[in-house]
Amino acid sequence: MIDKYKQAFQEEARELLNELESALLELDQKRDDREIVGRAFRALHTIKGSGAMFGFEDIAAFVHNLETAFDQLRNGRLTATAELINLTLAAGDQIKTMLDAAAGRGEVDHLRSAAILSELSQLTGAAGTPGESKGPPPTASDAGVPGAARDWRIQFRPAPNMLLNGTNPLLLLRELRELGTLRITLDTAAIPPLSQIDAERCYLAWDMVLTTAAPAETIRDVFIFVEDDAELSIAPVLDQAAETSAAIVTPATQNVPDRRGAGASATAASIRVSTERLDQLVNLVGELVTVQARLSEVAARHDDVDIREISESVDGLTAALRDNSMSIRMLPLKTTFERSRRLVHDLGIELRKDVELTIEGADTELDKTVIDQLNDPLVHLIRNSMDHGIETPEARRAAGKVPTGTIHLSARHSGANVLIRIADDGRGLDVERVRARAIEQGMIDSSARLSESEIFSLILAPGFSTAREVTEVSGRGVGMDVVRRSVEGLRGSIDIASKPGTGMTVTLRLPLTLAIIDGLLVRVGQAHFVLPLANSLECVELTRQDISASNGQHMATVRGELIPYIRLSEYFQMERAQPEAEQIMVVETEHGHYGFVVDQVLGDHQTVIKNLGRLYRNVQVVSGATILGDGTVALILDPNRVVQNIVQSTSQNKRSLGRRTRRSVETQYSE
Amino acid sequence: MPKTILTVDDSASVRQMVRFTLSDAGYTVIEAVDGKDALTKLTGPVNLVITDLNMPNLDGIGLIRSVRSNPAYKGIPIIMLTTESQASRKAEGKAAGATGWIVKPFATQQLLAVVKKVIG
Repeated sequence: MIDKYKQAFQEEARELLNELESALLELDQKRDDREIVGRAFRALHTIKGSGAMFGFEDIAAFVHNLETAFDQLRNGRLTATAELINLTLAAGDQIKTMLDAAAGRGEVDHLRSAAILSELSQLTGAAGTPGESKGPPPTASDAGVPGAARDWRIQFRPAPNMLLNGTNPLLLLRELRELGTLRITLDTAAIPPLSQIDAERCYLAWDMVLTTAAPAETIRDVFIFVEDDAELSIAPVLDQAAETSAAIVTPATQNVPDRRGAGASATAASIRVSTERLDQLVNLVGELVTVQARLSEVAARHDDVDIREISESVDGLTAALRDNSMSIRMLPLKTTFERSRRLVHDLGIELRKDVELTIEGADTELDKTVIDQLNDPLVHLIRNSMDHGIETPEARRAAGKVPTGTIHLSARHSGANVLIRIADDGRGLDVERVRARAIEQGMIDSSARLSESEIFSLILAPGFSTAREVTEVSGRGVGMDVVRRSVEGLRGSIDIASKPGTGMTVTLRLPLTLAIIDGLLVRVGQAHFVLPLANSLECVELTRQDISASNGQHMATVRGELIPYIRLSEYFQMERAQPEAEQIMVVETEHGHYGFVVDQVLGDHQTVIKNLGRLYRNVQVVSGATILGDGTVALILDPNRVVQNIVQSTSQNKRSLGRRTRRSVETQYSE
Repeated sequence: MPKTILTVDDSASVRQMVRFTLSDAGYTVIEAVDGKDALTKLTGPVNLVITDLNMPNLDGIGLIRSVRSNPAYKGIPIIMLTTESQASRKAEGKAAGATGWIVKPFATQQLLAVVKKVIG
């Protein structure tokens, strides 16, 4: 490989020597022509530089002093004399013989080389500096001496114009990372307000801890091109204690209390606090969240880095505080579940039934308020299972089952919900009988086509439960409407599954907490509403075309699906100018997909729910309220109730026309 | 897509060495014989310029200044080739906006290490 370059250099050097010779001869005519001196200098310079690179160190060393002389000539510190020109011509010839010798032709007369150089030093009046045929200087690629890995603290603040000089700081960090484990903290303190930012300047600084076996020089070599202009410090970290104090942590993470530490201390494992105080704490945190939202909004309006930074810190702290205070209210279901053991035991004696209760997932945690309200429905459901589900031991034996019945109580997390399941191995529900009974009671039309779970959900209807004890299933509805009401009050839902003869399973889906809701903030005219995020599927534009295409029907086509929609401004009879564009939020409800048309979807909004107070307790479509950043109130809608409310009123109209639909059935039993 | 490097040197042997070394490493190499020639070749995508300082017509310093004042290329990395005896020229090159430098004579591994350092 190197021979290829040597050959190229041989050719090039000869060309350059010719160039040197012609320049020298011209110079002899025009002694003070700097341009010609420059040509000669460049020829010598290139011969020296390239010679050293391709293994012609002797030539490089020889040319060095000539180059120096011509540099002085170029700068006017030396004048061109006939002697100098002649000597240089002779030197050129000497270089040619050196090139020949390198190519294997002839020998070099080293004495002559020395003679030329000594004569040159006399002419220039300087003791010739030794040629610089040193080894290549150390570069970044030099490997460090292997040793024990240690920590280095590297602080690097580049010059603002670093990017303009073509340096990519990421590559420097990547290079450091190749040396060992690198922990990087970015310092953004110097970033000016947006209006003053020059996108081509670098305002960042890095504070890093590098664990490597490489020596300091290797680390410094990474910054070799930038260290002159940058603020750079590379220092060994003395011990672990020094390291932790050295590593700058962002204030937000520093201030977040470590929850793992809470249970670690043995002496103060827990303290009793009245629930009132907890509720008060959550309320205060709610207020704080509201104030924080206002602070963020104000900070965003002001172009002040300091305020924004404070606001962001407060934001992080508020979120941590909110999560923390919420987690304080979380209790395991254990107590509630254990209480059912006694119930099963007592009822077993009373009903002369042998029932075993098995419990699973008792350590699942739920908000205290949810747990408090869960007890009643749970008692109802277990009582139902004991009373009507589980058969007497004799009947069980006759049916080929083990005489002891089982009720299985279980709980588990599912996203932001908790699923609580009450399963028995009793006689179960017969779909056809429930259906027949519902038709008999006029609850559904005989032609209605319902799914199994829809039929089972009929037993939750109040009208159903109070039926006479004519059929096996009749009594099973006792109190079921109460269960449904409490669960819905907790923003939960009920699902029933059953197989005749093998048992029935009731699943309650409950939110983890009642105090906080993840919602989407929307605007209608001047008013704001929050829709629960859990039910929201997507939001799309509602175009004029959509409106006209549906001939006045409130229907829109979203991804090929025809979706009925409710315009909130019409629903709440709000007087406002018709906006240019509207948005339609597709929400999943008990009645299928529905669209809610709003003027604008503003975005995510996690909020602490405030109760509306006793005056509004009969307003069902609104589940609460929240206070926005600017101090205004936004109502939290319950999409299920809104849709139910509308379906109800339309189905009443339809019924009066003698047309019964599936929806009318559902609304009827909910009345 | 391979990165493109423009090597600017009046020495054909240095250009050849740079070209062979970088082509072998998978880069695309364009050659220019001096600063003036280099400016005419700055048309397409170029990721790095490696330039000598002493060149006829337009020298390395002048080339660096021109590149830095060209909006399309002003942020690209520029490596200058210097010699030990050119300490003041190095400072001049840095002031003009050079990203880094390689001291001549250099070995192929050094060239590759520096190229990797500035363009990754």
